[in-house]
Amino acid sequence: MSAVHRAPAGLKLGLALALILGLGALPAERAWWGLGLLPPLLALAKLSSVPLRTLLSRWALGAPFLLAAASLAFFQPNGLWLGLALLAKSAICLLTLQLLISTTSITELVRTLRRLHVPRVLCETIALLTRYSALLGDEARRMRRARAGRSLRSSRWLEWRALGNSLGLLFVRTVSRAERVQSAMRSRGGA
Amino acid sequence: MHIPDGFLSARVALGYAALSCLGLGAACWRLRSQRERGASALLGVSAAFVFAAQMVNFPVAAGTSGHLVGSALAGALLGLPGALVVMSAVIIMQCFVFADGGVFALGANVFNMGLVGCVVGFCCYRLLCGAAPSPTRRVASVAFAGWCATIAGALSCAGQLSLSGAARLSVVLPAMLGVHALIGVGEAVISSLVVASVLRFRPELLENAGQVELGARPRKSAVLAGLGLSIAIAALLAPLADAAPDGLSRVTQALGLHSSTSPSLAPLSQYGVPGIVSGVLATGLAACFGTLALFGLCWVLALALVPRKGREAEARAVVAESSG
Repeated sequence: MSAVHRAPAGLKLGLALALILGLGALPAERAWWGLGLLPPLLALAKLSSVPLRTLLSRWALGAPFLLAAASLAFFQPNGLWLGLALLAKSAICLLTLQLLISTTSITELVRTLRRLHVPRVLCETIALLTRYSALLGDEARRMRRARAGRSLRSSRWLEWRALGNSLGLLFVRTVSRAERVQSAMRSRGGA
Repeated sequence: MHIPDGFLSARVALGYAALSCLGLGAACWRLRSQRERGASALLGVSAAFVFAAQMVNFPVAAGTSGHLVGSALAGALLGLPGALVVMSAVIIMQCFVFADGGVFALGANVFNMGLVGCVVGFCCYRLLCGAAPSPTRRVASVAFAGWCATIAGALSCAGQLSLSGAARLSVVLPAMLGVHALIGVGEAVISSLVVASVLRFRPELLENAGQVELGARPRKSAVLAGLGLSIAIAALLAPLADAAPDGLSRVTQALGLHSSTSPSLAPLSQYGVPGIVSGVLATGLAACFGTLALFGLCWVLALALVPRKGREAEARAVVAESSG
């Protein structure tokens, strides 16, 4: 736990949002100014003792989307220049976001959102989503492995059909899980 | 369809963020009375379901794979306000955890995949379904709604990119529509597969989906008006966006790099119908034929997916009703 980890979530969220909004509002011809933010960001990353490799691999996860969107800009007159500027801008935004996420827990972020009067329904949905997405992802993976173990012959149509079936089954299981979660919440005096 | 940070101009990003906030706020307001009746856990866990379903990759040709977006599917399963909240939560999480789509562009992304996707998907589904749909009709409706939601989202995404000067409408519109017409077919197939199997395991979930979240069935005229309005806005905004001065031309002028070479990339001709001169008309006609053909395909898909047994049972029920 570094000082960056311990800093209040609201402060970090506010700073990151301000940086990203400011960078977003920067006109394309001034996009190079954004590069000036790179040294302080890297210094913060060093201070937070998040391994650079983790940060970069997470950054690389989002990079293909940047390239796809930038390739559309290349088709304009002088598009190469504009595309590169957009790419630099969004790469820095991505780095900022990664820094925020690797030093702040989702629970803290949701609590901050609630304090900012974001509707309760949305906050609850986000909180439950983070709680249950790993569980349901695991369940989907188990169903998939079981299906792979059972099925011998396969064609693309059969594969799609089986995957669709297991997703439908996953939804049905989701609903029964939601019923159980709701009654558990209620029996503890929650909503 | 996730727009990264830095591609939207400040005006466009803030404008669409305001629109998304309005839509999302209305949905949350609609849902607040549902919370006491125990819908909050359903929404949260359903959001996790959409999240997990997006992680399941379906094999497409040559080693590539695609995945579900799920706004039309969520609309059919949860009703409009519920689907809107669920999709928004998923998009917000993707933005913050997986860096899929930017923070600055979050409003626009929620607008495209949440608001537009859910409204168009839900309206199409409800309109095609009618009052008491047969399983086949339900599956066909959700397939077509999935395709429409994908196309509508792509249209609005292309509009945003061109409005903020990141790409020309004449380039970005055909590119986005072409790719998403294909992606939409995948979305249609997956959505219909999921609905077909939910119909088999627990059909009552689909029957009371709208009533649980909406309180009452939406009036048909309201649904039609909403759909017509969104199409009209899309049709009116597109030429405006093209006529608006490009952000890029300002840039080139400011830099004194006024290039004389304009790209001759207007792939409208590829979509043309021979014999009709006007490019716009030809493209419109081609789009209409494509949509009609796709609607037919959805129906065939539904016929293939709904088991014959179900249809026999349905026929028996009809016979029993008419005789008794």
